[in-house]
Amino acid sequence: MNNQIGDTDTDTDTNVSTDTSTDSQLGATTGVETSTTTTAGESEEQIRDEWTDYRFDSPAKLSVEDLNVWYGDDHALKDVSMEIPEESVTALIGPSGCGKSTYLRCLNRMNDRIKAARIDGSVELDGMEIYDPNTNLVELRKRIGMVFQSPNPFPKSIRDNISYGPRKHGEINKGLLARLFGRDDSEKEAELVERSLRQAALWDEVNDRLDDNALGLSGGQQQRLCIARCLAVDPEVILMDEPASALDPIATSKIEDLVTDLAEDYTVVIVTHNMQQAARISDQTAVFLTGGELVEYDDTDKIFENPESQRVEDYITGKFG
Amino acid sequence: MARDEFQRELDALRDDVVRLGDVVSTRLRKAITALDSHDVSVAARIADADSEINERYLDLEQDCIDLFALQQPVAGDLRFVAASFKILTDLERIADLAANLAAYVVAAEDETFPDLGLIDLGTTAVGMLDDALTAYEKGDSTRCRAIADSDDDLDGRCERVAQQVIRHLVERDPDADELEPLLTDVTRVLLTIRDIERIGDHAVNIAARTLYMAENDDALIY
Repeated sequence: MNNQIGDTDTDTDTNVSTDTSTDSQLGATTGVETSTTTTAGESEEQIRDEWTDYRFDSPAKLSVEDLNVWYGDDHALKDVSMEIPEESVTALIGPSGCGKSTYLRCLNRMNDRIKAARIDGSVELDGMEIYDPNTNLVELRKRIGMVFQSPNPFPKSIRDNISYGPRKHGEINKGLLARLFGRDDSEKEAELVERSLRQAALWDEVNDRLDDNALGLSGGQQQRLCIARCLAVDPEVILMDEPASALDPIATSKIEDLVTDLAEDYTVVIVTHNMQQAARISDQTAVFLTGGELVEYDDTDKIFENPESQRVEDYITGKFG
Repeated sequence: MARDEFQRELDALRDDVVRLGDVVSTRLRKAITALDSHDVSVAARIADADSEINERYLDLEQDCIDLFALQQPVAGDLRFVAASFKILTDLERIADLAANLAAYVVAAEDETFPDLGLIDLGTTAVGMLDDALTAYEKGDSTRCRAIADSDDDLDGRCERVAQQVIRHLVERDPDADELEPLLTDVTRVLLTIRDIERIGDHAVNIAARTLYMAENDDALIY
């Protein structure tokens, strides 16, 4: 049943059923009967369609419809439909095992790499179905880049980490052959390396040692290098899976500032366990809860000030999980 | 339930705010009784004791700041702490106004306007404060809206009484009354009416923040 505080229908003097009891820290849920909860402490409730029906003015960059994922018999993601606006930061939050990382990986078909995974539903990038059999996965992952939880630079120089992608995609030609044919793009490469590192707020820290091995950088610098590497192939969407969870607070705030800046030109989708981080940097927040369900999706301030779902309220205020 | 310590701190804050509210309400009630009985000694004690309310107010305000800084409350918890933070200010202001009322009792030498019904006005205002505190304690949104309605009534009554005082001044017999003491009395009575009216406003503020806390509804906030 709906257990929302907006729907109370109390009469003046006989108010209050639950106010001092444990399930209502505020007495805010006055007038509704005490909610039943699961063994995990979650309130029992039906998800309402309008909780995930997020409306926005800008165009949708990604449109996900009725997405289902199974890992073997495990139904990891259930009927998720969600539109992600372009040039914004969308945070995905929820407890461990709620399907948020699974969902993120579906957005550039990283789950294709997991044999046991079965995926059903539709994901469109600018109106183009990415699960179309003719989709070029290399091209797709160039347009939708990804940054992972632990920094994973190549064991190469800082410069090579950046130029690796563009070279693979044939955007930069270097070496003996290229020189012989007069197509040496060294200058272009230098520009690209500088631009990408600047965009990732790393240039000032590394510009005097671009030929050093990237593994010599600090964790925070490595992560920004990975973001720079992702930017070098000129993506449109950047997926981030807990990009700051392995970093100290200063490195974390650099990543957070960077995410905010990137959203001016890119569409960023970020999975985070740190709810305050989601609150600080995202424009809209999607809450996934146990069972692979998208429960609520709305402007970030709405989610953190007045969520519709009691379960979302309980989760973000730390009352279960 | 997780975050037990945090939950205890939220409960403690609510209890503390309600307790401060009860102290303020008791003082206000005593000030109004002193207004009725011209009990100068009681009034003087109330007028002088405002500083302890101020100290308590600052302590509880600090508790709210600590909760924001250390626990980063969100959703219902956030609205509760934010509402409490604002409500504390209203309680402190009501205590100031109670001290004002007490000070007028001390200053009054005799009663020029015995039949104005100031005590009734004051009793209504205290009742609104008590209702607001109950609404806050219970998260009772229905009661919040009722408080806002009763403030319109209090404002109307205050205005009528103020007009009565002005009329008395305008229609006075120039030969019979001495002007200077009358002016002092009129000023004091008008200030009394104004302060009672403001206590009603602060009670509405408490109700408004409580409604926001309970339902995220800012309809009563101005």
